[in-house]
Amino acid sequence: MQGGSTGIVYGGLKYQARCIADVRADLGHTSFLAGTLSLKEENEVHLIRLLPSGNEIVCEGLFYHQNEIWDLKSCPYDYRILSTVYTSGETYGASIWKIPELSTQSNSPQLEQLVSLDEHTAKIKSVLWWPMGKHDKLVTIDERNIFVWNIDSSNKIAKVISQESVGMLHNFSGGAWDPHDRNAVAAICDSSLQCWDLRTMKNTNAIGHAHIRDVDYNPKKQHIVATAEDEFGIRLWDLRMSKIPLKELPGHSHWTWAVRHNPEYEGLILSAGTDSTVNLWQVGTGSEDSTLDSPQSRRIRQIDPLLNSYTDYEDSIYGIAWSSQDPSVFASLSYDGRVVVESIKPYTQRK
Amino acid sequence: MAGVSAPSPMDEKAKRTRDLLASFYTNNSNTGSGALSSPATASNLTPRTASSLDSINSSSFDPSSYMSLLVQKSNLENLLQKHVQMAAEIKNLDTDLQMLVYENYNKFISATDTIKRMKSNINGMETNMEQLLAKITSVQSKSDSVNTSLFEKRGHIEKLHRSRNLLRKVQFIYDLPSRLNKCIKAEAYADAVRFFTGAKPIFEAYGDSSFQECKRASEEAINTVIQNLQGKLYSDSEPIEARAEAVVLLKQLNFPVDNLKTSLLEKLEDCLLKLEDESKDVSVGEISKTFRAYLIIFPDSEQRLIELAQGLFSRRYDAARDQLKKRMPSVDLLELLRTIWEDVTAIDQVLPEAALPAFSLESMCSIIKQHILIAFSHLQHEISDAVAGSQSKSNEGKEERDLQIVLENGKKVVMQGSLDLLVEFQQFFDEKLELLPKLKELITDWVQEGFQEFFQNLEKHFLILSGSSTNNGPLGESSASDHLTQSPDKLPTGLVLVMSQLAVFIEQNVIPKITEEIAASFSGGGVRAYEYGPAFIPGEICRLFRSAGEKLLHLYINMKTRKISVLLNKRFTTPNWIKHKEPREVHMFVDLLLQELEGVGIEVKQILPCGVVKRHRHSDSAGTASTNSSRSHPNVTREDKLASSNTQRARSQFLENHLAKLFEQKMEIFTKVEYTQESVIATVIKLCLKSLQEFVRLQTLNRSGYQQIQLDMEFLKAPLKQLVDDDDGAIDFLLKEVNNAAHERCLDPIPLEAPILDKLISAKMAKNRDHSAIPL
Repeated sequence: MQGGSTGIVYGGLKYQARCIADVRADLGHTSFLAGTLSLKEENEVHLIRLLPSGNEIVCEGLFYHQNEIWDLKSCPYDYRILSTVYTSGETYGASIWKIPELSTQSNSPQLEQLVSLDEHTAKIKSVLWWPMGKHDKLVTIDERNIFVWNIDSSNKIAKVISQESVGMLHNFSGGAWDPHDRNAVAAICDSSLQCWDLRTMKNTNAIGHAHIRDVDYNPKKQHIVATAEDEFGIRLWDLRMSKIPLKELPGHSHWTWAVRHNPEYEGLILSAGTDSTVNLWQVGTGSEDSTLDSPQSRRIRQIDPLLNSYTDYEDSIYGIAWSSQDPSVFASLSYDGRVVVESIKPYTQRK
Repeated sequence: MAGVSAPSPMDEKAKRTRDLLASFYTNNSNTGSGALSSPATASNLTPRTASSLDSINSSSFDPSSYMSLLVQKSNLENLLQKHVQMAAEIKNLDTDLQMLVYENYNKFISATDTIKRMKSNINGMETNMEQLLAKITSVQSKSDSVNTSLFEKRGHIEKLHRSRNLLRKVQFIYDLPSRLNKCIKAEAYADAVRFFTGAKPIFEAYGDSSFQECKRASEEAINTVIQNLQGKLYSDSEPIEARAEAVVLLKQLNFPVDNLKTSLLEKLEDCLLKLEDESKDVSVGEISKTFRAYLIIFPDSEQRLIELAQGLFSRRYDAARDQLKKRMPSVDLLELLRTIWEDVTAIDQVLPEAALPAFSLESMCSIIKQHILIAFSHLQHEISDAVAGSQSKSNEGKEERDLQIVLENGKKVVMQGSLDLLVEFQQFFDEKLELLPKLKELITDWVQEGFQEFFQNLEKHFLILSGSSTNNGPLGESSASDHLTQSPDKLPTGLVLVMSQLAVFIEQNVIPKITEEIAASFSGGGVRAYEYGPAFIPGEICRLFRSAGEKLLHLYINMKTRKISVLLNKRFTTPNWIKHKEPREVHMFVDLLLQELEGVGIEVKQILPCGVVKRHRHSDSAGTASTNSSRSHPNVTREDKLASSNTQRARSQFLENHLAKLFEQKMEIFTKVEYTQESVIATVIKLCLKSLQEFVRLQTLNRSGYQQIQLDMEFLKAPLKQLVDDDDGAIDFLLKEVNNAAHERCLDPIPLEAPILDKLISAKMAKNRDHSAIPL
């Protein structure tokens, strides 16, 4: 099960890095954005592309970004737009940027700042785009509040249309936007996962007693989310039945940091952890992995859900992203700045 | 032929005579054979012709050739001799012939005499015959006359005789009542019934008219008879034959016997029910006697009796089953089964049709099976009591001391309990009970199945106890309040470790032992279909427990690291690291961390074995010799270690390479956990340090914050090494990694100077020493 060095390595990032994002809107290319995290130096955003031959990665663009990047998202409907969350010492901020024309890539141009999302009063954690396509709203989450913005990127205007505080007792640390429902956002709180309705700005539902690091909606099935937790590894939940998880996967030897559903193949889940491994999981098959998965059928399935463990990393991995252009490809980013693009074809064909 | 009646001495002679006569009468029939020997061929005589020439008695004898041959062959003396011999023979033959003629003549004369005598005798017979005929005719006529004269009187006599018989019968009827009464007095009921049934047709024909009185009287009498008979039937003291006879008689009297039968059987049923209530008052022997009696008395009552007997024993077995519900030793069970079985055989002798043995076999099967199941579940309870029960008793401070005892208890209960069960079940085989050998295979299977299920359940039970297989409340890592509310469900962490070790013990010691025992005395079986294989699969159980042991061990480590993680999280999220003040002392979270780790150490040391120092990962490690020596001389502790670390410092270049190599080889921190003190502690420490590193990476520090972390890590080095030998350098490496992380995340990474570092550390150590000195 130990994966050899089958991946294609991109070593262009000079500094530590945490964030990598799939460029969904870059039709026809398998592209990723990666942002570095360096306190002292000037940080970079790399636009990298997997060549059609599938065995080489090139840097399509390298853009300077002054502050260290803690969160990076690509706009799902315009490949030239991206959002970052950054800090610099004590200051923090979030912005939406536009990548300049690629023809001038040679001299590493600056990103064009479209909007600065600076209504935040606490440390910003994450910017969320609605993942399925064009939507004029944006959600940002800071430690205390959840904001909904109205974005007009062409006019470079961003307006807060609603805002709600979580209360003094809790801290947000991230979240995810439901691809099936534009009004639902899952926000990671100290010891729970809260589901917010953006129309009423109310917390509608919660998964309690879970110290969650990352959450990801199942893109194929509504109400199903995967969470990455320190204690329980990876757990799959049906948000309508939030008491008991549908499934548990052992996760990693140390913290499980990130978890992502494959956009195409049902039941394939990718997770990354601070034990310097990326694990590929297979949970259930097709329709039988339904929301009403009974305990019996769970018990029957004795097959090891772990398809493969990619271990060819030298530091903790904080960033993973599936390519939505080629769903059998994912990119992983370890803290030492190495991007590894792997194909999971051997495992999808085996089915 | 001739009167040659003489026995064997005369045989020779008679034969010769007969031959001679025969040759005489059939002279010409065969002369050809002698003609063969012509004189022409005489010169070259074959022995055959010679012999034929010699045989003077044969019909082909040729006297002339015989003569010439004799003359040629013999000398004078021989010839003379032959002559004498021949003359004697001729003389003999002459006398023989004479004798024959004489004898035949004699016989002829005597035959003539006989014929003459017969003729004279027949002459007088005719006259005698005529006289005899005349006499017979006269006798006949006389007898006819007598007959006719007596005829009339004979008819009269016959009539008289008939009327006498009738009178006698009437007399009998009239005497019947008194006779019956007499019989009743004499208890000769059989006679009474015989008399009455004899008279019955008459009563039926004439009872309404002439014999009315008589009939009533005798019916009264017979009613008494019936009553008496009934009384006899009901009384148990009467011999069975008498009672049976009574029934037969009653039946002859057309009495409704069936009612009697049912009432009697009901009585018997009551009696049987009573037997259970006041057990042992009525012995089964008596019951079987009763059964036999009833069987004889009412031959058609068998069905009912069978039902009764089956009912009796099914109740007995039910009672036994009830007793099973509380755990009883096999000996008692066997005793119980034996008594029932004895009773069954007793009844079975009387009532073989009830198929009681088969029924008992079935019942015993189920009872023994149930017994085995109960025994196993009981054992499981005992074990879980031994493990978990202790928790309630020793909730607080004592608990840590008790872990070892709990483990030992658990081991003892598992091992001893299983073996005891085996010994107990063994008794089923030793028992002389007739049925059990038939069940042997079944029992073997049950015992094997029992063990299989028992261990499977035990494993499940362990996992449930530890809470790892259920989702009973994940602990909120960051909020202590959550932790408190959830904790009642959970076992103390130490017990998880105990169970883990117990699982290993079961896998390594108990299962092999049990397998051995089973092979010794419970092998075979095979009633189960072959495709299922043997019921007890030690390999499977071993695998189960191995994985359970690992799971529990990991759970233990998880629980511990989670606790520490809460601590670290607090430490790193509360302060504002960018505005951190200059480090004045080692931060107190270090104490808490060490305290937790020591807690782990204490628990682990009670339960896990001390591991052999594993060198295979880095056999060329520079520290090998020094750590070994410090291990073998526990008194020489830190000074030596420092000294050795100085020598290491001298080889710092090497060490750095070493670490770099480590780095390239990927971290060793996630190695497989072993069941040793060192391995577990080291794993917990490694995981904590890794968490520490990750926490640091999430912060942005100012110079003082960095220095604080540097100080804390520097301080941690020594105590961590005290806790566990860092034989592969992983802990050193991780401490350094934390430092590196802090360095990276620091805006202004200027480390503390070594003298200040040393000063602060020694101050902290001095303080700790004071602290620990006070309670001591």
